Amino acid sequence: MAHNWSNWSGSLSFTPDKIETPGDEQALRSLVHKAARQGRTVRVVGAGHSSTPLVQTDHLLVSLQSFKEIESYSLSRGEATIGTGMTVEEAGAALHEIGLATHNIGDVDVQTLMGAIGTGTHGTGAQLQNLSAMLTGIRMVTARGELVEYSLEQHPEFLRAARGSLGALGIFTAIRLRLLPAFRLQRREWCTHIEETLAHLEELIAANRNFDFYWYPRSDLSKLRTWNPPGEGSHDLPYAKCVEDKTGWSHEMLPKTRDIKFDEMEYALPAEAGPACFQEIRSRVKQRWRKEVAWRVLYRTVAADDTYLSPAYGRQTVTISLHHNAGLPFQEYFDDIEPIFRNHGGRPHWGKKHTLKAADLRHLYPRWEAFQSIRKQMDPDCTFLNDYLREIFGEPRRDARGGGGE
Amino acid sequence: MKAIGQRQWVIPGGHVPGTSTGAEPEFTSFDQVCILNSGDKEAEIEITIYHTDREPVVPYPLTIGARRVRHTRINDLINPLAVPLDTDYAVVIESNVPIVVLFSRQDTRQTANAIAFTLAFPAE
Repeated sequence: MAHNWSNWSGSLSFTPDKIETPGDEQALRSLVHKAARQGRTVRVVGAGHSSTPLVQTDHLLVSLQSFKEIESYSLSRGEATIGTGMTVEEAGAALHEIGLATHNIGDVDVQTLMGAIGTGTHGTGAQLQNLSAMLTGIRMVTARGELVEYSLEQHPEFLRAARGSLGALGIFTAIRLRLLPAFRLQRREWCTHIEETLAHLEELIAANRNFDFYWYPRSDLSKLRTWNPPGEGSHDLPYAKCVEDKTGWSHEMLPKTRDIKFDEMEYALPAEAGPACFQEIRSRVKQRWRKEVAWRVLYRTVAADDTYLSPAYGRQTVTISLHHNAGLPFQEYFDDIEPIFRNHGGRPHWGKKHTLKAADLRHLYPRWEAFQSIRKQMDPDCTFLNDYLREIFGEPRRDARGGGGE
Repeated sequence: MKAIGQRQWVIPGGHVPGTSTGAEPEFTSFDQVCILNSGDKEAEIEITIYHTDREPVVPYPLTIGARRVRHTRINDLINPLAVPLDTDYAVVIESNVPIVVLFSRQDTRQTANAIAFTLAFPAE
């Protein structure tokens, strides 16, 4: 019996033909093999935190909730192999139990870790790459239903494609991660006027392991957040009032529980374009959007990487995110701001709202064609592409190829 | 300390002016509720926002410590939904303990700024 599926914010819902939760890799292989033979689409669903239709399909939706184990780990090598059904929160707690930690975590930890890796999700920190950078090995089920393994040591080009691949290369069942020994962070939050934040922005980014700020459009105030090894980083900020100061393990200090649901657009910009882009957005929001928009704008940093479809590919990066209450109309707001992002060289977050298609995206990613080549080798019949990914990757819609539509 | 006031208050005439003049946040146009909890128990408050063209939005949760006062701009409420500026609305404030509610409006749409304030209506 078909069941409706809805994402976290409620902005996306659809009814797949089936939602399957295979208990092991053999069951998953059978599902994929059968679906591929029938010309059906297979998409993997994680925690449903993405607000783009990455998982939307009329055919088969697969949940990896049964794949939640830490399979193996090595403290001396700083790595662990874990099942891909774990959420970021679950992985953080489980890794902590064995003395390991991810180098960074985003503002929320409700996503599956694989979903976060596969969409280039990130935390903040100018020296810290996004979460996909941890990925050094993969075990996966291919479109032919085969179980194969890849590693960074033996297949570096494939790993650079696979790290942020939107579930388009196959279904990852286990991933090997490069990790850090468990570590503690001191989290501090400060309030000040946005002009003060912008005047000290470069020094705040440089002085702190992790730094970001929120801007509140209806007051022009900002909240600064810093995370550092205890006792390090920015201490006394004479222009800001410290409103929170606590210390704990990294997986507890980096994310924050969010009860309020929202829709979000985020773009990754060349770091040098960040301040000017933010100022343009600030001006536009104050001029046109304050009547409806009260939610903050978030400014973060990410280190450059070499993942083919990473929004931080090849450049130090600033990300700017717009938020709007789930349930309030967001499209007109996001549509109005998106050209500002694009004029500053922005690349959209794969899991958040944007309107770009293949014709726009291919010019933003220097290794776009290399990724597409690997994707076509791995999945020549596009078993793992839904209609949305076909648009994103420039493949004809299924019905145009005579496949009967999704 | 004695808990002064009522448990339910009403402000029927909400309307945050849509534009502002001058430095922010000091001169941002706003509607604001100033709530006194003079008693010895924390006040757990729920605000309901009524609109002219849609169903009320509830609850906007707020807590105020024992023997404390809190000023909250309507502009800043986002949980569960942002309140639109330059739009008529009304407020009902309900508390588990007696409180006193003052409503104020700062209107800086022109440089000759205006401030108005009144006690909310104590319903019960």
